[in-house]
Amino acid sequence: MPSFFKQRKKKTNSEDHKESGRDQPNNRSLEFIHDSISINLDMIKQKTGNSSDIVIRTLNISLHSEIKTAVVYVEGIVDSISINDFLIESMMKNHALQEKLTRENALEVISNNIVALGSIKLVSNWEQLLLSLMAGETLILVDGTNEALSVGTQGGETRSIEEPSTQVAVRGSRSGFTESIRTNTALVRRIIKNPDLWLESMKIGKATQTDVVIMYINGIANEKIVEEVRQRLKRINIDGILESGYIEQLIEDQTMTTFPTLYHTERPDMVAGNLLEGRIAIFVDGTPFVLIAPTIFIQFFQAAEDYYARFDIATALRLLRVIIFFISIIGPSAYIAATTFHQEMLPTQLLIAISAQREAVPFPAFVEAMIMEVTFEILREAGIRMPRAIGSAVSIVGALVIGQAAVQAGIVSPAMVIVVAITAIASFATPSFAIAISARLIRFLFMITAATFGFYGIILAFIMLTVHLCDLRSFGVPYMSPFAPFSPKNAGDTVVRLPWWALKQRPPFISNENNIRQGKDQKPHPPTNRGMVNSHTRKSDQNES
Amino acid sequence: MNRKWMFLFLMLTGLALTSGCWSKKELTDIAFVSALGIDKNEEGKYVGTIQLINPGNVAGGLQGGGGEAPSITTYSSTGDNIVEMSRRASTKISRRLYYSHTNLLVINEELAKEEGIINILDAFDRDPEFRTTATIIIAHDSKAADIVNTLTGVDKIPANKVIKTLKITEQRWGEHMEVSIQEGIKNLISPGKEPVITGFRMTGNTEQGKKLENIQQSAVEENIQADGLAVFKDGKLVDWFQGETARGVTWILDKIKVTDINISWEGEQEAVAYEVLRQKTKVSANMKNGQPKISIHVDAEGDIGEVMVPVDLTDPSVLLNIEKTVEKKIQKEINDAIQRAQKNQTDIFGFGEAVHRSDPKAWKKLKQDWNNVHFPQLKADVTVEAFVRRTGLRNKPYFFRMESNQ
Repeated sequence: MPSFFKQRKKKTNSEDHKESGRDQPNNRSLEFIHDSISINLDMIKQKTGNSSDIVIRTLNISLHSEIKTAVVYVEGIVDSISINDFLIESMMKNHALQEKLTRENALEVISNNIVALGSIKLVSNWEQLLLSLMAGETLILVDGTNEALSVGTQGGETRSIEEPSTQVAVRGSRSGFTESIRTNTALVRRIIKNPDLWLESMKIGKATQTDVVIMYINGIANEKIVEEVRQRLKRINIDGILESGYIEQLIEDQTMTTFPTLYHTERPDMVAGNLLEGRIAIFVDGTPFVLIAPTIFIQFFQAAEDYYARFDIATALRLLRVIIFFISIIGPSAYIAATTFHQEMLPTQLLIAISAQREAVPFPAFVEAMIMEVTFEILREAGIRMPRAIGSAVSIVGALVIGQAAVQAGIVSPAMVIVVAITAIASFATPSFAIAISARLIRFLFMITAATFGFYGIILAFIMLTVHLCDLRSFGVPYMSPFAPFSPKNAGDTVVRLPWWALKQRPPFISNENNIRQGKDQKPHPPTNRGMVNSHTRKSDQNES
Repeated sequence: MNRKWMFLFLMLTGLALTSGCWSKKELTDIAFVSALGIDKNEEGKYVGTIQLINPGNVAGGLQGGGGEAPSITTYSSTGDNIVEMSRRASTKISRRLYYSHTNLLVINEELAKEEGIINILDAFDRDPEFRTTATIIIAHDSKAADIVNTLTGVDKIPANKVIKTLKITEQRWGEHMEVSIQEGIKNLISPGKEPVITGFRMTGNTEQGKKLENIQQSAVEENIQADGLAVFKDGKLVDWFQGETARGVTWILDKIKVTDINISWEGEQEAVAYEVLRQKTKVSANMKNGQPKISIHVDAEGDIGEVMVPVDLTDPSVLLNIEKTVEKKIQKEINDAIQRAQKNQTDIFGFGEAVHRSDPKAWKKLKQDWNNVHFPQLKADVTVEAFVRRTGLRNKPYFFRMESNQ
């Protein structure tokens, strides 16, 4: 039974693989560094396939004896100015120290007296050596020692901090995250200047070795949720993480849903605000999108600006956004239901107007709506994917096709165009793109139920949707909280936003017991005298006269 | 778990597909009935005239606009009852008749006189599509079909024209009332109140009214206009109230909103126009010596709209005098209406209901022959309080200055 054995062997193999992956990276040899520098350099060349971006610079730093030394780094991901100025230059020109240098104390002298850079560490095995080389550190190898120095010289070209393009605010911080994880964590650190802001780093992805950082405020964040996030991240065993979306899909609670159970943002102020509410941020190197967990449904209707604007305005905008969300879900389906099932619901004049337009249209309302919605989705997708230069051409063609030609050709009715346009604009106005996309999908489901059962079907679909939403969890937190389970005390920052002085508590179910966020009696108390500030001068004026 | 979801999914798909768009009605498959006229032919069958809207010709816009073709099409159909008539109409009409937007029901005068309206209204009360908020009118001196067939100018849909005319005239003039099927039925079954329904008359040539040329001229000859109040007894039309008598009815029913009352001044007939702006009428009943007595109190407030003789409106005593005269005029209108209704032995004012409210026990005895015995003998005490709020932009009319210049 050779095949049986073969199969079994394979299985054990893959299990081994898994095991090794868990405490990765472990797939490279654990060989220690050799004494001879030439062998070591050959080894590096061999291991990296003689890649052209690896720079090996050999130097001779001692005056008396010949101590062969090499500086190794990957060009492009290191800060070449600091390597040149503080590493190579000081190694070559520091004559006083060079006299003391011997083969035995070389590494010590170099690290203590010569290298003028912050982070430096000793490396003794190959695996660590190569990882730090790939992470942008510079290696210093000295002939005759079986250890190497690894100097933190990460750098290279990164995008500068720009205004976030997906979450624009009229009022509020203009800075958005970049692709560099250090810049990103620094942006938040700059907002929350507190030693309790804790960071935990890990590398995920066997091939990519992507830096992932969990950030939370110790003492506010719920330790159980932090532990859960940590566990879920550690579970990940994948070859590469290219964007935070990978992490999101690998750690989310529910896959079979169109609703996002993790929030992602490009705004440091938003991350800071969420950390203060006890949430946990997950930074991934190489993407400006930071994940926030746990996430509740109403979060997708909260824009950063809500907290900066005064409460009445913020509340009005929140309500508007909830209405927008409903419109973007049921817009076309309500039209279908009203025109094919419930004609009695429309005012007579409106019905006549719609009916007149439909008179020449060859399709039933459902097909008509489907045609328009699909056309619109195609246009939207084309608008996003097209090169910028051609983008305007797409919009012109789209506007002509959707707006006029289709109507004039009698394929769709103008009323349908209006409905689709309103729905489209509504889905653009939703502050979070993630929830707008899920509304886009659900819309088609609603259209089908509306075409089948009319408003009755819409209501049925709504009930199912509500049940589904109540069923969702994000890191153990009910997705619909604080509505279901209802907690009126904490509903002040949901569909409405109360003034800041009334928001005494952090959102429920998220932070730990420490959920009081402000002191007592924060309501402003202007002086009871309603007179003007300089009224006393007027009084004295009167007295004089 | 997976199997469970698959099962649920299949069930839902099956549910959606097998039901097959239950009770779906595409807009292009239904015909909106805007008005329905009911006559009776010589054979004793009901003749329904169905007014259908031609949406394309009403809405205009991209589809070419109205004017070329009439905004309505009418069909007639016969049957032993309303439902049969409506079903039989499908032999002539390519679409399903849709009654949810029907808001006018026209009933033939002869039919209302001879057979009454009780038999007819059940169909509309029972049908789930038909709205009982639809307005009901009586075709006065014409056939219901003529009212339904006639094309109208400003409002493209004749049914709308009729309803809006009725609404506006109720608000601005007050000799007519809008009565819905619902109200009509409510008054029919109430022992203490009888229905009144506004009549509409068609002027001009009935054949000409169906043609588009009728509305393509400035002076529309073939028109539909409100004309009189049809008074019912036991569900049958018994009398027509016209003019000021009709307005007396609307006064008592507290339906007057704005109207104009002309009074004579210093021998000059109809010389001062008093515009009622708001009014409140209270009808109350009380029993005296076993006999019911009705008291009606009207509080009217209004402006002087026009004077045709020199009247010094700055003089308070003159204004008081005007108020007195107006009060008498209103009182007369009301009394005329009551007398005429008493002659017809039909309580259209709801006095019976007022008695019922004030003395339920006595009403039980009176109820039986209220219309025939008690109502005609009823004494009504009418008091009116009129008040001149303003005299318009002028105090003294310009006649005074003309006189002083001479």
